[in-house]
Amino acid sequence: MEETEFDDILDDWFIESLKTYKDLHVYQLEHPTQVIEWTSGKTVCVAGFTSSKNEILELRLPLKLFADENKGLCAERDFKVVHGGFTDAPVRCLRHIPGTRCVVTNDGLSSDLQVWDLGGDDSDVIRRTGSVDGSRGVSEGGSRIAARLSSQPQVLHGAESAGVRLTQLTSGQTVYTLETDSADPLSSLHFVSDAVFLAGCSNGKVYIADTRTSAAPQLSPPPPSSGESVLWWTDASAGPSCLDPSSCRIVRLSSCGQTVISDLRNPGGAVSRAQLDVQTRRCNADDVRVSWAPALDDCIAVSGFSGAVQIYSSSVWTTELQEAQPLFEHRGHAVSSQSDDGVPVFVTSHVWHPERPRTLLSAASDGSVHVWDWVDQSAAGC
Amino acid sequence: RSCILVSIGGKNIMLDCGMHMGYNDDRRFPDFSYITQNGRLTDFLDCVIISHFHLDHCGALPFMSEMVGYDGPIYMTHPTKAICPILLEDFRKITVDKKGETNFFTSQMIKDCMKKVVPLNLHQTVQVDDELEIKAYYAGHVLGAAMVHIKVGSESVVYTGDYNMTPDRHLGAAWIDKCRPDILISESTYATTIRDSKRCRERDFLKKVHESIERGGKVLIPVFALGRAQELCILLETFWERMNLKAPIYFSTGLTEKANHYYKLFITWTNQKIRKTFVQRNMFEFKHIKAFDRSYADNPGPMVVFATPGMLHAGQSLQIFKKWAGNEKNMVIMPGYCVQGTIGHKILNGQRKLEMEGRSTLDVKLQVEYMSFSAHADAKGIMQLIRMAEPRNMLLVHGEAVKMEFLKGKIEQEFSIDCYMPANGETVTVTTNPSVPVDISLNLLKREMALGGPLPDPKKPRTMHGTLIMKENSLKLVSSEQALKELGLNEHQLRFTCRVQLQDPHSDTDTLHRIYTHLKSVLKGYTIQHLPDGTVMVESIVIKVSSSTEDPNTKVLLLSWSYQKVNKEATSSKILQQGTDSSPNHYLRKCL
Repeated sequence: MEETEFDDILDDWFIESLKTYKDLHVYQLEHPTQVIEWTSGKTVCVAGFTSSKNEILELRLPLKLFADENKGLCAERDFKVVHGGFTDAPVRCLRHIPGTRCVVTNDGLSSDLQVWDLGGDDSDVIRRTGSVDGSRGVSEGGSRIAARLSSQPQVLHGAESAGVRLTQLTSGQTVYTLETDSADPLSSLHFVSDAVFLAGCSNGKVYIADTRTSAAPQLSPPPPSSGESVLWWTDASAGPSCLDPSSCRIVRLSSCGQTVISDLRNPGGAVSRAQLDVQTRRCNADDVRVSWAPALDDCIAVSGFSGAVQIYSSSVWTTELQEAQPLFEHRGHAVSSQSDDGVPVFVTSHVWHPERPRTLLSAASDGSVHVWDWVDQSAAGC
Repeated sequence: RSCILVSIGGKNIMLDCGMHMGYNDDRRFPDFSYITQNGRLTDFLDCVIISHFHLDHCGALPFMSEMVGYDGPIYMTHPTKAICPILLEDFRKITVDKKGETNFFTSQMIKDCMKKVVPLNLHQTVQVDDELEIKAYYAGHVLGAAMVHIKVGSESVVYTGDYNMTPDRHLGAAWIDKCRPDILISESTYATTIRDSKRCRERDFLKKVHESIERGGKVLIPVFALGRAQELCILLETFWERMNLKAPIYFSTGLTEKANHYYKLFITWTNQKIRKTFVQRNMFEFKHIKAFDRSYADNPGPMVVFATPGMLHAGQSLQIFKKWAGNEKNMVIMPGYCVQGTIGHKILNGQRKLEMEGRSTLDVKLQVEYMSFSAHADAKGIMQLIRMAEPRNMLLVHGEAVKMEFLKGKIEQEFSIDCYMPANGETVTVTTNPSVPVDISLNLLKREMALGGPLPDPKKPRTMHGTLIMKENSLKLVSSEQALKELGLNEHQLRFTCRVQLQDPHSDTDTLHRIYTHLKSVLKGYTIQHLPDGTVMVESIVIKVSSSTEDPNTKVLLLSWSYQKVNKEATSSKILQQGTDSSPNHYLRKCL
């Protein structure tokens, strides 16, 4: 066999992966997705974002991943398309409403939301069941969406801080509206408890509001040293693991890699900081994601700046701004992409598995979707 | 199990004749009563076509041909013909000898069945009879697998069997030309999956092997000579070289002989890489992989062994398994499906205690790993195939209708074709648009061409005037005159008439002359003649004048014209209308 064929089969990354990943699955969708959203412990939704016809797919993860004790006896490594539907517009944001078979999407062109029924066992077609009006006069980028954590099917949405509303899905009624002094474009919305939510703005501001009161929201100003053209993304650690909303933490990431962690008890201050190496050749605001690991302490995943997903352990960060090295880097998308036009592939989305500590899903601009369970090489940390 | 009956142009074809591997009773055979309640099938089937050697596609063939009864031709590719009997015999041995079943075919029946086989070459049209023709296309999937194009007259069907749209290390990808069949029949078992990459499957394989070797364990890989054995060997060899590993890798000689024999025989069925390799050297000549001797199984230390048969049901692989099963450091990797009744099947179902010959029990302590390397087309693959073949209708078999509505919608939307999903036992009727070829006489063709205008085009048909003559099996389009001549008939002409009354005190001749003069002045550009027989002709419209019998001042104008093309008639009426507009003879106008 020729030398090139050897390299063909076994490149460095492939060999390395034997030790660095417990599980690794690589898939190719027909069209790239910008959204990955859990609809159950074993299923996710993905959707296309071309300007014309797109598909929304609900995929069931490979059975082998969940087989645990009987893993060896399970040969099933494929995604199963359990439900699928069509939409005429791009899907830029997709949220599952917990406790229902309902998802809500936004096309990034207006602030209105589309409501879908994923379907049950009797049909594999995802159907549009309605819509939710957004506020008039929207900025670019469309609406962000968050779903209420409790059993009430309510959806929080908006494109700007002024005008974020909580809408009852069944009646379409607005239950709460956020009022802020300025209309700041949003980068994300998060519920930290059933009633308290965060509105993360692209300029670095974070509003903290309680839907039970009509009091003005708390404002956490943008971290210092952010310039005019710097964009910010936010995530909040929340959910059932966060019993006391005030002990929830917020991570803010800037387009130049500056990362600040604050505590809800002291939203203006910083618990720790770090400078991440994000290799910004280009930065598409739509693609950047920063997220807390739901089942690991102090771990953050960052993607969207390149063809890699980076995992950081913030437990070693201090209040001094210092360079941080990733605990792990998933370079699978960059390594296995076959981009003909020389445009480098970049990661469009990532999510953590809600329970399995080190399992993530990531998607890239070439249509690839990876499911990976990384090995923590360091003894300490996550 | 795959077994599809197609009726096309009066011909009946059976596509595949598989066994259902999940049943132990007669439910494992296809239900041939759909063809006839009793008696042999020969009179009801024009041919049987087998797509590849997997048992769920050919497992019931000897039962059908020898126990139910069929003496017509059975078509399959050369490799399938060579490999089928081996698998069928193995299968028979397991079912009858090991499980003691009775309603099953015998070795002799397999031989008799294979005598009815007519082998197919790729891309070669075979005339089954003077109306039915078939052609095989490369399907990938396994050695010898084919997709089949069936044509009767102008109607056609393509059956895919199992196929694969991505090439792998030893087989190419399926390919078909833009044959535009009326129906494309495809499996939908994997239609709703998105396949994990081959790289990840291989990674898993290497990881498992490496882990076992590292802890000093032995790895047994039972393989079928023509399955993935070659690929897995290449993979291990490369890995060993890269990682500088020292543990020995063996393959049993039976495996290499058989594999080399078949690959040599069917070299055109493998992909480019294998062909190149074969030309350079023997396919199983590796640096790190050596021929196995049964005594090696007792050697201490780690090792990897490839041995046949693939389901651990007999022979060398079973012997080695018995020796190694008791040690938890060891591992057995099953690279494919195992038939019920085999040890392979039992351990893949989690059985940890096995009953062996002589009532002894074997404790299964080694690690059992099931890996699937088989290549099937997924959702994306089906779309690619449809794009290649451009069928007019799509038929998906072996899926659950409720689980395939989305795919059906996707196909219908993207290709604007109908997609059917019949359940087992259901009949689907698809209406086709057969094209009827008709000859046209040269004269007629020349005449039509002389009329000018755009050339006829499949997308922009042109109407033309002619007569269709159907004589025996031929259809001919000729000019009306020629048709009349052939039929010995005289031509008749239709003339239409219309009477108009007008008040005019002049004589008949004078009135006629006045009409003539008037028309001549207003209808410039048209041929107007005053004929000696007392008529005026405007183009082909004849005008005659006579007096009413009751009142000599009432004149009756008789207009007559022959039936010609619609627009000519319209022109005629328009002409006259124009001509009479300015005259007080509004009756004339009304008539027209």
